Amino acid sequence: MKVKVDKTLAASIALHVLVLGWGLVSFSSRAFEMAPEDSVAVDVVSDEQLAHVMAGSKTGKKENPKPLVDKVAEAKPVDDAVGKVTEKAPVITDTAPPPEPKVEEKPVEKKPDPPKVVEKPKEEPKPIEKKPDPPKVDPIAEAIKKEEKKPPPKPPVQAAKPPEQPKPKTERTFDQSKIAALLDKRDPSRQAMTGETLNSNAALGLSKGKAADNSATWGALFKRQVDRCWKVPYGGIETQNPRAIIDIKLKRDGTLEGSPIPEEIPATPYLRVYQESAIRAIIECQPYNLPQVYYDEWKYFAPVFKPET
Amino acid sequence: MTDNDQSREMPFRLNRRQLVSGMVSLGVLAGAPVRSAFAQGPKQVPVQGGDFAPLPIAIPNFVAGTPGDAEVGAGVSQVITNNLKRSGLFAPIDQAAYIERISNIDAAPQFQSWKSINAQALVTGRMTRQPDGRLKAEFRLWDVNTTQQLTGLQYFTSPEYWRRIAHIISDQIYERLTGEKGYFDSRVVFVDETGPKERRVKRLALMDQDGANVRYLTKGADLVLTPRFSPSTQEITYMEFGQGDPRVYLFNIETGQREIVGNFPGMSFSPRFSPDGQRVIMSLQQGGNSNLFVMDLRSKSTTRLTDTPAIDTSPSYAPDGTQLCFESDRGGKPQIYVMPATGGPAQRISFGDGSYSTPVWSPRGDYIAFTKQGGGQFAIGIMKTDGSGERILTSGYHNEGPTFAPNGRVLMFFRDPGGNGGPSLFTVDISGRNEQRVPTPGFASDPAWSPLLS
Repeated sequence: MKVKVDKTLAASIALHVLVLGWGLVSFSSRAFEMAPEDSVAVDVVSDEQLAHVMAGSKTGKKENPKPLVDKVAEAKPVDDAVGKVTEKAPVITDTAPPPEPKVEEKPVEKKPDPPKVVEKPKEEPKPIEKKPDPPKVDPIAEAIKKEEKKPPPKPPVQAAKPPEQPKPKTERTFDQSKIAALLDKRDPSRQAMTGETLNSNAALGLSKGKAADNSATWGALFKRQVDRCWKVPYGGIETQNPRAIIDIKLKRDGTLEGSPIPEEIPATPYLRVYQESAIRAIIECQPYNLPQVYYDEWKYFAPVFKPET
Repeated sequence: MTDNDQSREMPFRLNRRQLVSGMVSLGVLAGAPVRSAFAQGPKQVPVQGGDFAPLPIAIPNFVAGTPGDAEVGAGVSQVITNNLKRSGLFAPIDQAAYIERISNIDAAPQFQSWKSINAQALVTGRMTRQPDGRLKAEFRLWDVNTTQQLTGLQYFTSPEYWRRIAHIISDQIYERLTGEKGYFDSRVVFVDETGPKERRVKRLALMDQDGANVRYLTKGADLVLTPRFSPSTQEITYMEFGQGDPRVYLFNIETGQREIVGNFPGMSFSPRFSPDGQRVIMSLQQGGNSNLFVMDLRSKSTTRLTDTPAIDTSPSYAPDGTQLCFESDRGGKPQIYVMPATGGPAQRISFGDGSYSTPVWSPRGDYIAFTKQGGGQFAIGIMKTDGSGERILTSGYHNEGPTFAPNGRVLMFFRDPGGNGGPSLFTVDISGRNEQRVPTPGFASDPAWSPLLS
C-alpha cells in the first residue's frame, strides 16, 4: 500500500516537474522578443573603457602604470614603445648635395632655385681676381725686410704668396623636406608587446587613437526613438526619393537646444512637407536617451531622414 | 580662404545661391533658417524608415463671431473633419479629447495642451455674420510642434454656401500638409437609380464630392448613361435613350437647357469634353462597328479620328489635349490604345490578361485608369500612360467606370455587389490603400468628377 502511494506521488512529482519544466522552456519570454534592429556587432566593453581606449591625446599624461601588452608571453618588456626603434633603416642625413643641373627646362614661373646660391661662393674665391692683400703679408717677412734693408726687397714670392684660400665650407643647408626622412614613420608599437596580462590600454597619443565615431551605436538609438513620432506624409505611389537633412543640437539631458535647422531648401511642395514631418518628429520625440559617454558626438549632428530602400 | 579653396567650392556655391534666389522669389523660403553654404555640416546620421501614417490633426469647432454663428461654426469644422478623414491622409482627433477650448483665434493656442493629445496640426477658425448679411470665414493652420502658423486665410460668402467655404478651407489644409493640390471643392455627377431591379428609374444627379447637396437634373423618364463634366463645370454631356436611337446630349446645369450634340444617323455614345471645353469627342455607330469622332461645339463641324472595322469607344483626352486614350477591340479583345488627338496611328498600351475598358486620363497626366475584366472579376486599376506600372486598386464581382478627382490622387467608381441590391459609389486613392463608400440617397452608378470649382 505504502509503496503504491509513493509511486503515484513520484509519478505526480515527475509529471509536475515535466510539465512545469516544459512550460518554463516553451512559455519563456517569447513575447518580449524585439524586432531585429540593424546594428553593429560589438564586444562587451564598458562605455568608459571604450572611450578610454579610443581617445588619443597628444597632451595627455601617461598615467598608465602597466606596460602595454598585446600578447601573453614571456615578459619582454619594452619600457616605452614610443621612440623605441629596432629596425630602423639607415637614414641618410647628408649635407645638402649641390643640386644636379636640371636638364629639364622648367617653365618661366619657376622660382630661382635656392641651391644656386650655394654654388655662388664656389665661384667667387677665384684666386686671380683676388688681389693679394697687403696686410696679409707675412709679418715675419716684414721683419726680415726691415732687418735687411739693403738688399732690394725680393718680391715675397713665396712668403707673401697669399695662403691658399680655404675652400669655402659648403654650408650645411637645412632642407625641411628632409625632416621626414629623419623620422621613423613606423608605428612604434609594431612589435607585439608581450607580457603576463593583456593590456591594450596603450600609451596616449598613439596613431591608434583616432577621432571617435560611435554614431552607428547612438545613431541607431536615436533613429528608434525619433521613428515613433515620425509620420511620413503620403507622397503617392511614385518614387520621389525624398530626403531631409536636419541639423540638431542636443543638451546633455537629450532635449533640443534651439530649433532643428533643415540643411536644404525643399525643391518641391512634397519635399517641404517631408522635411516638416521630420522636424515635427524631432521636436515631438525629445528628450532623447543617448549614451552620455558619446555626448561630444551627439551634441550636434544631422539626422538624414529618408525612406526605407 | 585661399583662391584655391574658392575655386573648388564655386560650383556648389553657385548652385546653392541659385536655389536660394529661386525659392525666395517663390516666397517659399519665408525666413526659414537655412545653414550657411560654407559652414561645415555636422555628422550625418541616417534615419531610414518612417512609415506613412495619417497626420493627427485637431479641428475644434470654429468660434462664433456673433452669438448666432455657433451652429455654422460647428458645421464647418464637421465638414472639414469629414473631408480630411475620408482622404485617408489625416487622423482627426475626437473633439472630446480636446483640453483647450479655443475662444479667440487671434491669440496663439496653448500648444502644450494640443501636444499632450498628440495633435501635430491644429486648425482654428471663426465664422462671423457681417452687417451686410454675408458670412466671414477665417482660419489658421498651426504646426503644434514648431508652434508655427502654416497658413491663415479669410473668405466672405453668402451664408448658404458655408459648406463650400468648408471645402475650400479643407483644400487649403490638404495642400499645405500634403504638398498636393486638394480636391474637396468639387462636385460629382452620377446616375441615381431607384425602384426595383426590373423597373429601375435612372436620373442624372449632381452632388458635392462628399455626398451632400444632391440635386436631380432629369426626371427619370428616359434612360441616361455616362454623364461627363465640362472643364467649366457648368455643363454636362451624357447619353440618353430617347424615342429613337441613343444620342449624346449637352445639359446646362444652371439653366436646365439641353440639346442634342450633332445629328448623326445611328447611335452616338460615350461622349467626353476636350480639356478646353470647346469640343466633344464620342463614338458613332456605323453598322456593327463604331469609330471616334470629334465635334467642335461652336462650328458644329465633325472630324473622324478612327476608321477601323472594330468598336472604338470610351475616348478620353490627355490634360494637355495632344493625345487621347480609348478602348478598341481591333486586336480581338477590348484593349486600351493611345493616339494623337488629331488622329493617326494608335498604340496599344494594355497587355495584361483579360480585357480593358473605360480608360480615363488623369488630370495630372501621369496615369490612365481603367476597368479590367477577367477571371469573372471586374477590377479598377491604373497604369502609366505608356502602359507600364499597371496597378489594380480594387477587384470584385462588378467594379466599373473610374473617374479621377481633380488632383489625380483619388478615383471614384461604382460597385455592384450583385444579387438584388444595386450599385453604389466608392472612392479609392491611387495607392489602393484607402477605400471609402460615398453616401448617396439611392443606388448610384456612372460617376464623373468635376474639376475644382474655384
